[in-house]
Amino acid sequence: MPAQTAARSASLFGRRTLTRTQRRTVAFYLFISPWLLGFIFLGVFPLVVGFLTSFTNYDGLNLQTIKFVGFANYLRPLNDPDVGFSVKRTILWGMLNLPLWLVLSFTLALILNREVMGRGFFRVMFYLPSIIPAVAAINAWRIILERNYGMLNHLISFFRPGTAIGWLSDFALPGMTLIAVWGGLGAGMIIFLAGLQNIPDELVEAAKIDGANGLQVFRHITLPLMTPVIFFQLVLGLISSFRELNLPLILSTVGISSGVPPRSIYLYMIHTYRQIFVHGLYGYGTALLWLLFIGTVLATALVFWTQKFWVYSEAPAEGGGS
Amino acid sequence: MNWRREGWFTKQIGRLSGYGILILTTIILILPVFFMAVASLKQDSEYMTYPIRVFPKVPQWSNYAAVFTMTPFVKIATRTGLLGIAVAILVTISSSLAGYAFARFRVPGSSRLFAIVISLLIVPGIVILIPQFILFARLKLTNTYWPWILGAIGGSPYFIFMFRQFFMNFPKELEEAAEVDGCGQFRIFWQIFMPNAKPVIATVMIFAFNGVWGDYLMPLIYLSANKTLLGVAMATAFRNPKGFDLKTISLAANVIYVLPLIVIFFFAQKNILKGVVTSGLKG
Repeated sequence: MPAQTAARSASLFGRRTLTRTQRRTVAFYLFISPWLLGFIFLGVFPLVVGFLTSFTNYDGLNLQTIKFVGFANYLRPLNDPDVGFSVKRTILWGMLNLPLWLVLSFTLALILNREVMGRGFFRVMFYLPSIIPAVAAINAWRIILERNYGMLNHLISFFRPGTAIGWLSDFALPGMTLIAVWGGLGAGMIIFLAGLQNIPDELVEAAKIDGANGLQVFRHITLPLMTPVIFFQLVLGLISSFRELNLPLILSTVGISSGVPPRSIYLYMIHTYRQIFVHGLYGYGTALLWLLFIGTVLATALVFWTQKFWVYSEAPAEGGGS
Repeated sequence: MNWRREGWFTKQIGRLSGYGILILTTIILILPVFFMAVASLKQDSEYMTYPIRVFPKVPQWSNYAAVFTMTPFVKIATRTGLLGIAVAILVTISSSLAGYAFARFRVPGSSRLFAIVISLLIVPGIVILIPQFILFARLKLTNTYWPWILGAIGGSPYFIFMFRQFFMNFPKELEEAAEVDGCGQFRIFWQIFMPNAKPVIATVMIFAFNGVWGDYLMPLIYLSANKTLLGVAMATAFRNPKGFDLKTISLAANVIYVLPLIVIFFFAQKNILKGVVTSGLKG
């Protein structure tokens, strides 16, 4: 009797007209609706518009003069020597920045992955640079890297008097690498550390009982088991060094009002950014963006292909989804 | 016996040198921030002298007062802080809703939509930022804060992923019991799951706030000088009315700029570092 009343009163509110699955489906789509709308209007739609823009001569203002230009924007890089130059600088930047960042953040993680007192404290201190915004980080590093009043040149001058290397101007690539690696170490370290802590202690203990020294344990157990994490970090690092824009853009505010970064750090995204925001070449700029996207996908695919030669393939023991 | 003792010694030496490395690394990593703090106490004339002196002759604490009286720092910081809080709240609401749905619902289309979220994690943000700008410019929404607000309402794949990972771990009985009691889906989410998700909520809000506070690119492309945010304002030195750079006062402003981030980080470091591991996002 009470059950009947409950059922009847529920149907009064129209609840029983839908099955449980249907109700849950509706609820699911209601829950994700803010994201879904955002994804459609701020993701898919701009991407489609951006894609179409890349086939036009859109200047960012006038829709009256807009013309379809075919693949002209995609062929234009062939006649634009700055594209080739900026690609070279970007590859150089990645080759300098990525290995340094990987090796150093892995080293930091190894240093911290021991039962030492105050480990939590050191972990926090090592991560600290990662929370400093790029703008403030560059302002801090200027004190060290500035050409005439910087501490680094001052230090070098003890050995080689009168040193005035433009770490942030004509020699900016090493300077920028230093800042980027410094700012990225913490995040890299934390991820490596999580990976290291997933390595079963028994494996290491067993190897030690078999007479392996620390170096051998690292070479034959730690390193192979860490290759999936290294791979993950390499892929993410590769993508983010291709699209680097922030650092050279902020560095180009040094003194010069024109906002052109030094040639040494004239990266691909800087060139793209300038086409759009300085020259108003929206069509060309978005074409360059899509070329970057294709380049990134190809490079990532290449790294994925090398996976079978060096990445330990057995899936991590259990639950290792993150 | 002898062998054992040697082993003990090498162990102690190993441990001490281990600490040496830890302390040395910490000092090297902190050095730039330390130099900035020290230089912010110099006079401008001291900042640019040669040979360089690391420490000021007399610490100029007045530089910090000058940040508040001689520069628009407070005005811009208030604006940035308010926008950061608004974005943090909105993005937390929309991301937690979506993350909850992806964690607890298996309905037609849900796994495919989640695959989209995952693939968005790898798409470089910049690829989407410029087309978004083209769109917002056409809608005449540049030089307003709408791009931030609308973007926050749309949620963030990183945060959705973080919430999903967290909500996945709750036992199924929890919501089933509530459903039997006649609890609606939204109430289950709001009254049972969210109150238990405080660590993730805090982490996401901090990430989101720091994102706005530290961002350079978005205020640069969207906002003009009179509406800009701290990220852009701090990139160039503040000037006095005569047009000269206030170098060390600007450095003091930089110190004040990073201070809230450091304080928040020290209080919430455990959750922040956990969030970094789950999302691959850097704080």
